[in-house]
Amino acid sequence: MAFRDVNARRHIGLQQLSSLALAGRTLLGPMKSCKFIVDESTKQSTLICSAVRLIESLDLTCAAGQLLNETIQAQNKEFGTGMSTLLFLVGAWSNAVLECLQQNVPVSAIVSVMSEGLNSCCERVQCLQISIHDANKELCSCSVRPNAFKNTSCQIGCDSLLNPEIFLYVQKDISASEEAIPRNSCCHQEGVSNCNKRLLSSLSGFGEIASLVKPAGEKRTPKISGSGVITSSCNKKKLTHSRYFSTLGKSHFSSWQGNFQGYHSGPAVDPCECYGLEHLVMALSHGNHTSVKLLQSIVAHQQEKAECSSSSQFNIAEIVTCCLLGLPESYACISPGFVTLVSPEQATVIKHFEDKLLRILLMDGDLTEQYRHLGFSRPRNVRTILEHPSLLEGRAGDLWLSRMLEILISFEVNLVLVKGSVCENLMERCIANSILVIGSVTRDVLHAFGEVTSAQSVTYLTQLNASCVGSGAQVGLWKACDGRAVDLGELVPVRIKAQGIPLLTAVLTTTVASKMQLIEDQFWTSAYRLHHALNDEKVFLGGGAVELLCLSHIRMLAEKSLQPANKNAVKEIHNPWLTASATEYKSVVLQSLASGWKQYLSVVMYNMAKAASELEACTSVDHHLKKAAECGSPSAYILKEFRRGSLLRGSSGPLADHGEDLKVYDNVAAKTEAWRRALDLVLLVLQTDAEIITGPQRNQLLNSHVSSEFMFL
Amino acid sequence: MSRLEAKKPPLFISEPLTKDTVSQSLSLLSGILKSCYGPAGRLKQLHNGVGGYVCTTSQSSAIFSRLSVSHPILRVLMASVQNHVSRFSDCGLFTAILCCSLIENFRSLNIASCTVIKISKHLLSLCMDYLKSEACGCRLSVDFSSLETLLCLVRSVLTSKPACMLNKQEVDHLATLILKAFMFTVPSHVETNAVLGKCIIVPVKGKRVVDSTVLPGLLIETPEIQSAKPLTVKRSCSNMIKIALFCVSMSGDLFSPEEGTITVHHGISLEMSELNQLLNVGKQLVNDEIGLVVCQKVIHPSLKQYLKENHVIAVDRAGLSLMEPLSQMTGSKPIASIHLLSPSCYGSLKDVRVESFASKHFVHLIPNDTVVCSLILCNRNETAWDELKRVCETAEHVLQLTIKEPLALLGGGCTETQLASYIRHKSCSLSTSNFKDIDCSRTQYQLVADGFCRSLESVACSLNHDDGEILTDLVYGHCWFVPSGFPSVSNWSDLVSKCGCGINGNAENLSWRLLQGQFGSPVIQGCPKEPSVKVADFLTLDCFAAKCSGLQVALETANLILDLSYVIEDQN
Repeated sequence: MAFRDVNARRHIGLQQLSSLALAGRTLLGPMKSCKFIVDESTKQSTLICSAVRLIESLDLTCAAGQLLNETIQAQNKEFGTGMSTLLFLVGAWSNAVLECLQQNVPVSAIVSVMSEGLNSCCERVQCLQISIHDANKELCSCSVRPNAFKNTSCQIGCDSLLNPEIFLYVQKDISASEEAIPRNSCCHQEGVSNCNKRLLSSLSGFGEIASLVKPAGEKRTPKISGSGVITSSCNKKKLTHSRYFSTLGKSHFSSWQGNFQGYHSGPAVDPCECYGLEHLVMALSHGNHTSVKLLQSIVAHQQEKAECSSSSQFNIAEIVTCCLLGLPESYACISPGFVTLVSPEQATVIKHFEDKLLRILLMDGDLTEQYRHLGFSRPRNVRTILEHPSLLEGRAGDLWLSRMLEILISFEVNLVLVKGSVCENLMERCIANSILVIGSVTRDVLHAFGEVTSAQSVTYLTQLNASCVGSGAQVGLWKACDGRAVDLGELVPVRIKAQGIPLLTAVLTTTVASKMQLIEDQFWTSAYRLHHALNDEKVFLGGGAVELLCLSHIRMLAEKSLQPANKNAVKEIHNPWLTASATEYKSVVLQSLASGWKQYLSVVMYNMAKAASELEACTSVDHHLKKAAECGSPSAYILKEFRRGSLLRGSSGPLADHGEDLKVYDNVAAKTEAWRRALDLVLLVLQTDAEIITGPQRNQLLNSHVSSEFMFL
Repeated sequence: MSRLEAKKPPLFISEPLTKDTVSQSLSLLSGILKSCYGPAGRLKQLHNGVGGYVCTTSQSSAIFSRLSVSHPILRVLMASVQNHVSRFSDCGLFTAILCCSLIENFRSLNIASCTVIKISKHLLSLCMDYLKSEACGCRLSVDFSSLETLLCLVRSVLTSKPACMLNKQEVDHLATLILKAFMFTVPSHVETNAVLGKCIIVPVKGKRVVDSTVLPGLLIETPEIQSAKPLTVKRSCSNMIKIALFCVSMSGDLFSPEEGTITVHHGISLEMSELNQLLNVGKQLVNDEIGLVVCQKVIHPSLKQYLKENHVIAVDRAGLSLMEPLSQMTGSKPIASIHLLSPSCYGSLKDVRVESFASKHFVHLIPNDTVVCSLILCNRNETAWDELKRVCETAEHVLQLTIKEPLALLGGGCTETQLASYIRHKSCSLSTSNFKDIDCSRTQYQLVADGFCRSLESVACSLNHDDGEILTDLVYGHCWFVPSGFPSVSNWSDLVSKCGCGINGNAENLSWRLLQGQFGSPVIQGCPKEPSVKVADFLTLDCFAAKCSGLQVALETANLILDLSYVIEDQN
């Protein structure tokens, strides 16, 4: 067993955390910049735009990195949103804590003051929560405004239609001097590559293997008509003259336009009567426009259904996604039922099924001869002897195939949905007999079909009896919004539905392969935001309001702690081992807690290009804080500024006085939990003073160049 | 071709303790453990160095179970601490630190080890007599009719491990839950042989700690049963649900003989015959009006289908750990064969429900008489959850030990310092006949006693991890903490607020002295007084039984190690 001291003053674990988190700075806020992650050994690269994917593709052999990964995965599993915030704050707070250590603040003081401070902030920001009902009302009262931009926005493109704020920015940028944009993005790039250098050097400094996977700089991706990336919007405008992009751009635009109009003539005609979730979806989308349209459509579908039954407004469990590569992004849509990809051979079977009600079978395992249910251990010492061999009986595999087929035919099954994989030979035989077998179907989908067709899932075909087979399923080729069936070459999208099935498939499309994952991730993030907002039954005022209030609250706490009258008050708290020294350092530690949110705000503003530099953004945050303090009631000031929509905007320039109503809301639990998880991780690593490496690594470590860092027991 | 190798002779190491490597390893281990101790203790990251799970902990049980040490002396030490922990759960670090410290202090004495051992045994008996006497100043009796002391006990266990990442509100919530869970396990009708029930911890990772809750009865996770529809359960005539509990696998695989092969004719399927046997069992279960079948292992899908068609709920993969509480709760005997079914094995339940928690679905078995309960334990991430689970188990165990012996010791270092000042006082007032009995001189006795007291005090000092001073007062002998950053000449009474356990405030003029750095001067002090008021709201308390055992184990292990004169290592 080896033992390594984590140097107290320059805590290695915290440094690791902060350098890992640096890579995620540009993923913060509504304007994210994508990153290419290049694996140097295989030269494979992935395009990522979320903290989860970033962490997944980084090399995390160090213990702190592993804990960071665990924390981000936990947030992802629980909320599906807030991971970038978490990652950023882990970095910011690690740095802040390192600074406290430099100033000789005892660890126990940092731990107790920081966690108390966060608790206090979480209580304070409750006044910025509003109920979903109020949020909807507020949103609806300003819903007609975007119409004003309809005419002017045509030349820019579709994205700005749904987000007038972005449109305004784009226009401003274009009207500004041409040099401004390249210079800006250039120094931005430089900054990021610097970051990466630092990340690499600091990692290799710890003796970690940093060479395996390396985030190879960050690239703007002009060829992707990215939603939300400002520079790419600008680039797209230039590229409309290219023969490759013009047609795409136009169809893209027109379909959006159509959709946009539809949405305005639809449920939102009378803003006062709109209690649907359309506007909430938009306010929670944070600049993710592709998903807005899809989610609004899902909400509409589910509400329609809810009028018949008494289910909730938005049920995320009834949504599945299907990714179609090769179709333009404007083809993304919602299809009732289950859309999936099948081979062209399977698709030929479908032609026989058109408009027929099918008998459906659900299987919760694999459909292969070798498959046995989980927990079945195959006997190894059984020998089968054949006494009278005859050539007629054929091979054992054929016997199984024909028996299975016989069963399927005898129960007149037309459609089989299988959770696992399907034996290829059986698949062929089934196609020949006009039975459609689809593998890799998730449990939720099976469950949904089971509910409406009264099919009961089985594990083996031999289990089958008449009551297991459901009926009423329909299969057809999936048709795009223009009514055409789509053939994507190797795979054909098909749609399976049944009368009354609540299942909705979000069909996600793109022509750029590397973007597929990203689009799917973004869709789910938006879906989870809506899901959690409705679950919490409340939302936070967004756009930095919450963070700003935290900052002003901490400033007040810090001021209070300096007043002598309060110095003794804290001593009442019980545990002398934890709190004795805390009072002395309270102000310093609170400042470092605040610095996390301050950096958060300034980086978001910088990423959104609301400020030319992080420093400028910082000044603007300070400006707001000063005003809030002058106002007397910080929460009232922030509320007012939020209503005006001027939070997180540059303090000067045309935007500041353009009182634009674009409300942004945040999730309550996801946000505060992300804060808590980030702080917990930082404090957990802070309190760690040693790594104990167990297992067979001992000899390797003994011989390695870092062996002097270790002590061996 | 096999090669024969001559046996190597065993390696003899004489006076193992005098070797440098041993003392280095011992002091390294002692350093690791001391740095873990207490609510402000530092955490250790245990991992294999190649990625994967990282255990962040400051618990002796977690560290020792993963630690592999090379030297036999360390192994002796770890084995006896682990043995103590397996019996008492609590006070593992205390035991280990005290043991290391005793070895260190006694070794530097230059007195024959047999004399040291004799004297230290006498000292231990003095301690134990004092702790068991009514006059003991560091002891509290626990009143089970009020919650406050019990809550203090649980809270102290919870706050002693910082890797759980709990804030004050979460500590309070969990302390209440743990106490509630414990109350469920106390049988309401006590006969001559009262047996405590069991609290099962159900993991729900990723949720907030305050989402944790306690339910009477048992929860078994069932991913297949979705909560959409309420369960309809077949009930027997007395409106009870009959349950059959299987501990044998019902997955339809063959019994696996260790050796030899089975030869079967082509066309005969052993699998089919096994399945038929299972279906026969199913038929009998249906005939016997069973409403619920629980299997420790896997149930064959065909049997499940058959049972479902006959309205019998089948739950499989319950796991070994649930079997004992299940059988205790339902009165059923686990059935170990699918060939013999005796109706006397069946048990009964009051109700079966479906509960969903986070994204998990559970079958909730509710018994008539609850002595078994489920603590649904949540924490935000894996490493903190694991630590919290160990802590909750410890707290539960501490309560069980306390109900047997309703006493608690003052925590926060106060018991250690008070015991030390009691021994210092007592060792001065021993008569010559005592020394004759032990066969030592007064000086020898005083030296060993001083080493013993310094060892106890060094445990109290280990609670401090930031710079600062540890004091003890000369009236009560309690332990006090002064934060860093003050010159040591300043008046102590301005700086201290409360003693470690929280029972004494800085109200009267107690004369303080530093715990460390007073080795030269003899300390003359009276017998420590008992604090006047023994009830306070937020006390730090330790488990009486665990600490007493820890003290004994530490001393006996230290004596054993001091007594080692040879290590014989088999080198083959």
